[in-house]
Amino acid sequence: MSLERKDDHDHKGWMESRELTTLESIYLTTLLWLDKRLRIVDYLELLEDLYYKVNMQMPKSHTEQYNLDNKFWYWYPLYALGSFSTISYIVAAISGALLGFYYAPAAAASDGTATVAYESVQLIMGELNLGYLLRSIHRWSAQVMVAAVFLHMLRVYFTGAYKEPREVNWIIGIVLISLTLVFGYTGYLLPWSQLSYWAGQIGVEMALSIPLIGEWVAQLMFGGFTLSQSTLQRMYILHVFFLPFITTAIIAVHIGIVWMQGIAEPH
Amino acid sequence: MSDNDTNDDVRTDGSGTGIVAPDDETPTWRERKERTEGLARLTYEYFERSRREDQDLRQQSDYVERDVLAFPAWPHEMMRNLALTSFFVGMILFLSAALPPEMPHPANANQTPAIILPDWYLYWSFGLLKLQTLNPEISLLGGQKLMSDRMYGVIANVVVVGFVAIVPFLNKGSARRPVEQPFWAAVGMTGVVFSLTIAALSVQNLIPMGSDLLLDLSFLFPIVCGVITYAALRTMREGYMFNLNRRYYRLRPPK
Repeated sequence: MSLERKDDHDHKGWMESRELTTLESIYLTTLLWLDKRLRIVDYLELLEDLYYKVNMQMPKSHTEQYNLDNKFWYWYPLYALGSFSTISYIVAAISGALLGFYYAPAAAASDGTATVAYESVQLIMGELNLGYLLRSIHRWSAQVMVAAVFLHMLRVYFTGAYKEPREVNWIIGIVLISLTLVFGYTGYLLPWSQLSYWAGQIGVEMALSIPLIGEWVAQLMFGGFTLSQSTLQRMYILHVFFLPFITTAIIAVHIGIVWMQGIAEPH
Repeated sequence: MSDNDTNDDVRTDGSGTGIVAPDDETPTWRERKERTEGLARLTYEYFERSRREDQDLRQQSDYVERDVLAFPAWPHEMMRNLALTSFFVGMILFLSAALPPEMPHPANANQTPAIILPDWYLYWSFGLLKLQTLNPEISLLGGQKLMSDRMYGVIANVVVVGFVAIVPFLNKGSARRPVEQPFWAAVGMTGVVFSLTIAALSVQNLIPMGSDLLLDLSFLFPIVCGVITYAALRTMREGYMFNLNRRYYRLRPPK
């Protein structure tokens, strides 16, 4: 009896008994190594399930069953608006992450001189290779997203898709539309140009005119009752940290509910 | 337990695992659930009911599993999605190459620009902030305003968003198409047109029209559009429903 520990099932012996190509043996060695540590085999059923889901055939939709396509085809593009807003959200996220390499939310003076924030945007626009295009893509995908989200809401309204059992998703949609607008607003302030400054001014005044909690809200969102460096910094952190996490999570829930409940088809 | 326990494998003195195999006395999970009280009990009963509901539905004679002979998800559906997605991303890239953003002057608190505006998608909200002329001066308070004009504008925003949020709880029933529910389609049309006119109100100094007239129009025009929508849909209704029903009855003739 040797002191050396031996595999119960002697996988190594099994591997050697087979005549494997190099690729196969590398693959099997990796698989054994991982399986010994993570016991992947326990999760194979999940993978299998996923596999069959991917290869599933889509069930015949209501319109297909009743042969209503000739009546409804012109509505179908309207049913893509939700996907379009998600796609432009992803495009905005990628281009925004790239813009984040060059933008600095700093030294927000308001006396007509160019601040660090303004100059970093100018650097992106003027000197960075393809920086002009990058900012343009970010801006346009944001505009397209807002437009698509609004049109998506109109489609849902006019096809009555918000009715039972989809009320909860309608309300989540309202939250998402508001978050999209806040996304746009915070982004609008970041270059710290004239337009940004005066839009920020309106925002502070709006926050201050909320009854009872107005001053508290102004402090929390704008970092004071007048625009300053802390306003810009808060807008930046909202735009690149809080809103992306919150919005992405709610979008996932929104789409998940659509998946569970199914599309409200035209009838 | 250790006094009359003859099984040496089971130790309860802390040296063993402490895990004891279930005997006849051990309640099953079902029994445990049935023994619960209060909210847990209610939850259990409700879940049992809904499970039975599903079961009954499946055993009904007219229940048919849906056909699964249509469009395969992979690769057909996925390829189509990929094509549409790349086309859409391409459109965004084309747009951004053709129309790059401009860069206004740096922030200057001492110089108010002639036109202060947010992005276009906030015009409606900005317009609602400019409704101070509609803020009632209450005679009981000696012509004083109950709330400040700014707060009035913020509340107008809350009211609009709040109304949109409760639509599913106001409009019930199975009607889906605009022709089936002309009233709600008219409400929607009024809302859409109002969002445009109120946006026009927010840029009133760009619109060649007296501000009083613009204010009146921004409320009247949506209502007119709503009424027209209602009338048109009511007129279309008969013919439209006839066509739709004919389609259904061809497939499933009434017994």
